Amino acid sequence: MRVKILVRLKKQILEPQGKNIEECLNNLGFSECGNVRQGKLIELDLPEDIKDKSTYIKDICGKLLVNDIIEEYEVL
Amino acid sequence: MNNDLIKQHGLTLEEYGVINDYLKRELTIEELGIFSAMWNEHCCYKTSKKWLKKLPTTNDIVIQGPGENAGVIDIEDNDAIAFKIESHNHPSYIEPFNGSATGVGGILRDIFTMGARPIATLNSIRFGELSNFKTKYLVNAVVKGIGHYGNCIGIPNIGGECEFDSSYNYNNLVNAMAIGHVQKDAIFYSKPKTLGALIVYIGSKTGKDGIHGASMASDVFSEDDEDSKRPSVQVGDPFMEKLLMEGCLELMDAKLIESMQDMGAAGITSSSVEMASKGNLGVEINLDKIPLREPLSAYEILLSESQERMLAVILEENNEKVKNILKKWQIDYEVIGKITDTKRVIFQSKDKIVVDLPVDIIVDSAPEYDRPFNLPLKRKDKEFDLSKLNLEKCLNNILKNINYSHKSWVFDQYDSTVMGNTINEPGLSSGIVKIHNSSKAIGATTDCNPLYIRINPEKGMCLTVCESYRNLIASNLKPMAITNNLNFASPLDQNIMGELVLSINGLKETALYFDTPIVSGNVSLYNQTNDEPIKPTPVIGCVGYNSNYKKIISNSFQKKDQQILMIGNILSPKNSPYFLQDQLGLTEISAFNDICDPDFELEKKHKNFLFDSFDDNLIESCNDISKGGIMHSLIKMIKNELGFSIKIENELDLFVECTAGYIVVISTDNYQKLLDKAESLEVNIRNLGMVTTKGFEINQSKLNFNSIYDKYLNTFSDKINN
Amino acid sequence: MPLSSAVITFPGSNCDRDAQTYLELITGQVPHKIWHNDQIIPKVDIIIIPGGFSFGDYLRSGAMASKSPIIKEVLKHSERGGYVLGICNGFQILTEIGLLSGALNRNVKLKFIAKNCHIKKNNENFFNKKIQNDKILSIPVAHNEGSYYNSEEGLKSLEDNEQVAFLYCDKDGNSNNESNINGSLNHIAGITNKEKNVLGLMPHPERAFQDFHQSQDGQLILESLIS
Repeated sequence: MRVKILVRLKKQILEPQGKNIEECLNNLGFSECGNVRQGKLIELDLPEDIKDKSTYIKDICGKLLVNDIIEEYEVL
Repeated sequence: MNNDLIKQHGLTLEEYGVINDYLKRELTIEELGIFSAMWNEHCCYKTSKKWLKKLPTTNDIVIQGPGENAGVIDIEDNDAIAFKIESHNHPSYIEPFNGSATGVGGILRDIFTMGARPIATLNSIRFGELSNFKTKYLVNAVVKGIGHYGNCIGIPNIGGECEFDSSYNYNNLVNAMAIGHVQKDAIFYSKPKTLGALIVYIGSKTGKDGIHGASMASDVFSEDDEDSKRPSVQVGDPFMEKLLMEGCLELMDAKLIESMQDMGAAGITSSSVEMASKGNLGVEINLDKIPLREPLSAYEILLSESQERMLAVILEENNEKVKNILKKWQIDYEVIGKITDTKRVIFQSKDKIVVDLPVDIIVDSAPEYDRPFNLPLKRKDKEFDLSKLNLEKCLNNILKNINYSHKSWVFDQYDSTVMGNTINEPGLSSGIVKIHNSSKAIGATTDCNPLYIRINPEKGMCLTVCESYRNLIASNLKPMAITNNLNFASPLDQNIMGELVLSINGLKETALYFDTPIVSGNVSLYNQTNDEPIKPTPVIGCVGYNSNYKKIISNSFQKKDQQILMIGNILSPKNSPYFLQDQLGLTEISAFNDICDPDFELEKKHKNFLFDSFDDNLIESCNDISKGGIMHSLIKMIKNELGFSIKIENELDLFVECTAGYIVVISTDNYQKLLDKAESLEVNIRNLGMVTTKGFEINQSKLNFNSIYDKYLNTFSDKINN
Repeated sequence: MPLSSAVITFPGSNCDRDAQTYLELITGQVPHKIWHNDQIIPKVDIIIIPGGFSFGDYLRSGAMASKSPIIKEVLKHSERGGYVLGICNGFQILTEIGLLSGALNRNVKLKFIAKNCHIKKNNENFFNKKIQNDKILSIPVAHNEGSYYNSEEGLKSLEDNEQVAFLYCDKDGNSNNESNINGSLNHIAGITNKEKNVLGLMPHPERAFQDFHQSQDGQLILESLIS
């Protein structure tokens, strides 16, 4: 089973990447675009029969994939 | 084999005929791929070889000249310096971030393949004019790519050039130079020695990166090609390269390797063929053993240019030790073949022999062309109306021109102090690093004056090489040896071919006179898109040496109330091409006068005078004079709010070019001693003025120091960001 | 007092040799060289976690290094009061371990910054006690992710416990938007833990101590520990 985890900076944290993309889009005439955020997508394979998948994912995110001081994640 | 297929592989039918006559059989598709890779300009120098052979490549300090991964020179005791410059022009236009990053990666591998630890890099980058739609994007991405790779692997960037000119609108240039330090008795070469020794693959897995990259570098671009060429650009992984570098250096340190070769352009094909050729031996490789990132055909494996890979030869008894060291560094490793005495290159895949070629047909029968060329036109001497120019206008022209601006926008994105041995950071006359645990200092510079060379390739090249010497001499470094990167448009154009031939000749004359051999280099041809050729851009990388870093002379003002002098021959405006271009706005090459003759004797005299005065501690700081003249040189010397107050009879003399020109700053107490020395060595000294706090004073004009200097510092970022 | 030391090398560390040279030339003692997979660090006074791009900084700067086997030794060392100095990537690693609070984000201008910067002492600790309060130190930075971040409570706790060791400033000592080169919260260039025996610092003191360096101010940090 393919698992996709989206990791982003938390909303309250300044995210210069997103801000820059937004400015660039606006400069290109796409002035409707607002609140641009950039994240990273981590994909991985897990066995279909894995026990307690959500705890497992929570565990790998907590241990390595996500720094909860600045980041949040969602499983897609 | 059908003709289209042959042409798609960049071979002419005549070239294919030579192969066919020799082998007397049809080639396999894999073999055709090998010839395509090995017989293009990038690998076999078929257009330039005839002329490159004329360059001086040896003297008593040269340990290794051209022909290895890098040149090596002797810097006394057991110390040696390996260095080379290489282009990554086409990849950096198509995909500027990865193209420039892998350019840095490639040149670093060339250095540590010799057993040398890289100690510095320089980058010579050229872009089209700022108004061109793509330029700012390219500058941002190229600088980011160079920084990304060099910063991550942790080699300081100590200098280089960054120039803008409309001739690079569709062909930006990225030339990367690297310097390494190696103990003389620990240099490694690509030549294998032992029959039956194992050929091992070390590094990243092989993927589809850059298949046909080496052939791509020799095509003339047509503009709508960009997208179709994108997939063939390699992606670099500097972290992997760092591990590879540490792993390889550890293997070499433990004497576990017999020879080594970087899998650069044309990947395993060129590295294995060169190995066999150097050792006058054969190689037998099983392609099924190659670590792959994705399923690939034999043909793709042979031509892949995946980065961060090495081919090494080891003795069987060392296999286990090699494996353990590489495991520590998390590097993939596989025994893929062995050294034979057949003088053939044999590749097998899936129990089938896909390539079986004698080494000599690939290497010795490689084509060499004597292409026709034109000499430059004789020029009539023209006069120019200078009546509209004055101090203020000329100064303003310099301050608003990005080519004369401070390049900190670029350099501040490169780590220049990692390794803790940097003496001169980028932006000075040359970059300088200290050898670790030693008092020896190595300086380096890259230079090119494409405008000079377009006007007169031979003289222009002589002046360029002299300028690179002056960059080193000004810091009390002795110019030692040269690496060159010859960037030209299509040599099928006889005028361009003339530029190539004559500039090599100029390089030869200068290097011979000053005994600075050419120990390594690279040729990049066909830098043209549609009918727009680049200006001839043979970049010189020159390395200098001082055995005691404490003797290095600063390029910046040190203290107020010190005296500013200059030596050198100030040219007339009509013979100063950059003055005419940047002050009068001349663009048509035919509108320029011929450039001045190089004055080797004067250059030498000034060099001796300076070295002698440095030895006697008579000079506080010194800077060379190049385009932008005395004024630009003085502005570059400003530091810690120390400016200048000078007097000069003709103010335009401040902006024209000079031969053998230097600004020399001394303590007033030493003035008489310096004059005496100058007199005895027949050097003419001109007294310009004094170092002053926040001064920008020329004759009667007291200009605003802060606003001028800020403009000089900020023009680059203002132009790039807007 | 002589200062015994160890420097940890991770795959991708590139300032480990610089840190070793810094320690060796100033303390007169050769530091232990520790590999990230080693199980023990000999008893020393200070451990330096050097700069670089550990594990390529691929997931987050310092994230993977913080999971290396050697980290438990670093924790033990700091618990018994030993000094730990994390420089640049080392600072990032210390925050990922949790020895220091907060995190380091991408520079606001999204560019790698390599240049000399100015910092000044804020709260006093073992690492800066020999530095005068009005001394402006000139020390190079070289990083892509040095913008210090902490939550409001985290920041308050740092300040309440006087853990802010160094601030970015200009050459005259003023901390303003321009001198804050990477957009760090409250101009923070370096912080300690509560016990003040662990310092994380973005600038590189090991590149500013020899006679040919642009500045020798980096000496003051080790000298503070020695005195």
